[in-house]
Amino acid sequence: MIKHFNKDINSDYFDEVYDFKGQWDVPSRCGLKIVKNEQHTVVIATELYAENPGTSVTNFCAPLATLIGFAFTIDPGKMMFIVHTPDAKSKLTFMNENFYRVDFSWDGNRFIDPKWSQIAKSRVDELIGLAPKL
Amino acid sequence: MKFKLIYPKWEKLEGQTTFNLPPHGPVVMAAALPAYVHIEFVDENVDELTFDDDADFIGISMMLTGQIKRGWQIASEYHKRGKKVIFGGISTMLHAEETLEYADSIFLGEAEGRLEKVFDDFRNDKLQKVYNYLAVHPDINTIGPARRDILNKEKYYHKGVRMVDLFHASRGCKYNCYPCAVAYLGGKCFRPRPVDRVVEELATIDNNRLFIVDNSLAQDKQWELDLFREMIPFKKNWCSHPIENDDEVLDLAAQAGAWFVYQAVFDTSDYIRDRIKRYHDHGIAVEGTILLGTDDHTEDDIKRLIDFLLEINLDLAEFTVLTPFPHTKAYDDLLRQNRIIDHDWNNFNAGKVVIQPKHMTPERLQELYHYAWDTFYKDESQSEKMFKLFRTVIMKEIANGTYKPVREELANRSFGKKVNR
Repeated sequence: MIKHFNKDINSDYFDEVYDFKGQWDVPSRCGLKIVKNEQHTVVIATELYAENPGTSVTNFCAPLATLIGFAFTIDPGKMMFIVHTPDAKSKLTFMNENFYRVDFSWDGNRFIDPKWSQIAKSRVDELIGLAPKL
Repeated sequence: MKFKLIYPKWEKLEGQTTFNLPPHGPVVMAAALPAYVHIEFVDENVDELTFDDDADFIGISMMLTGQIKRGWQIASEYHKRGKKVIFGGISTMLHAEETLEYADSIFLGEAEGRLEKVFDDFRNDKLQKVYNYLAVHPDINTIGPARRDILNKEKYYHKGVRMVDLFHASRGCKYNCYPCAVAYLGGKCFRPRPVDRVVEELATIDNNRLFIVDNSLAQDKQWELDLFREMIPFKKNWCSHPIENDDEVLDLAAQAGAWFVYQAVFDTSDYIRDRIKRYHDHGIAVEGTILLGTDDHTEDDIKRLIDFLLEINLDLAEFTVLTPFPHTKAYDDLLRQNRIIDHDWNNFNAGKVVIQPKHMTPERLQELYHYAWDTFYKDESQSEKMFKLFRTVIMKEIANGTYKPVREELANRSFGKKVNR
């Protein structure tokens, strides 16, 4: 269920607000969308900025991916984790919308060692089936 | 029980006038100590720190990222002597995991109502590794006057002139600014102290010049109006971060003693021009705080910005380079983009470039940082501009009968050290 979200954030990329205990157990939240395609289970975690009272997705990437993986029974080998930083409606360009794929190592129990690489919005759209059919 | 609270020194920025202000975090923390605790406070920026003493328990209070490595060193020295060390303060919260490696205990969050347990645990040899109060803030009504009596006040004079005292009227911040961690530290909800509690604290401060350290006062207009109205009778002069851009508020602020504000100047827009003019129209001076090296800054933008600062007659300007402190959006963005190029926390002082800028080399940004300082203060030095600002406050104090002359016996000392007059 979507609750307390900023209506300005592009909701194409989240279906629900996911509450989690962040760093030092601080109540935290992100937007969440999970889409299964043929190869992956794509998890998009959206930064909610002022709507998130606690730890950012980026600061908590590996534990958050682990939490979501267990909560939604996602095979760690198939999870593709994407951080979505939505457009903050600012004239400052570094507040524009961006997407980052995060690659982790799996230590048998949890994700560790996040590595980010920016990916195009069009690629995200393809992965979650939003891309227009040609 | 004797508790020794230490505020580690840090390397001051090259080429800039150094002022040591009495720290705020330690005096707020001290006010929350149980009555049986005898506190000795050492600010290593002005006091000598010795390690062989009879303290039962050691506290290290850290505000800046640039203090943490020194804080860790101090803890190691005390561990060699068999003492237990607890860390607290803003940069302990920002660097909690790393600091834990050097600590017997870390305290995360705000101290009010929580230190009885910490000291009970210590006395019963049950000190916990982490006291985590990050998620739950104390009732803002319970926050009383800070304990400035722990400060060695004579050390906060420069050539006989007393530095401002720091105090706070609110906690938390509803803004979520790109380079700032306050929303993480104090919460994203603005928590103004009741005006009567602020007034109660003001009455305890014997200094006529203050620095209201709140992140931004411009968060609740009615509270600001009430606060400034109640501050007028104290006849203090003060500096602060931004005040509401509203004539009614600015008028009352000026009557309440607003001396100068730190105002971020992030572009060359008419909004900024008008904002500065409005402060000036109310007799409030402005120290611009200018962040260089964001992803929107090319070399030309930076040069144009500096020309603009001179055009709008800023009273003072303070330049910094974008520094990604943990728990900020700046940190998150630059981490994801693998653009943090220096991981030595001592260099996170906002004067050294630790990132790969988008539009230039790190070396070029460093040069432009120095260019900004040099160009802004080319015709009138920082000391001269500061003196002008200082003169305005003296005139105000003479006019309202609160002026206290320079202390002649401290005229040849600067922050406790001997200097030429």
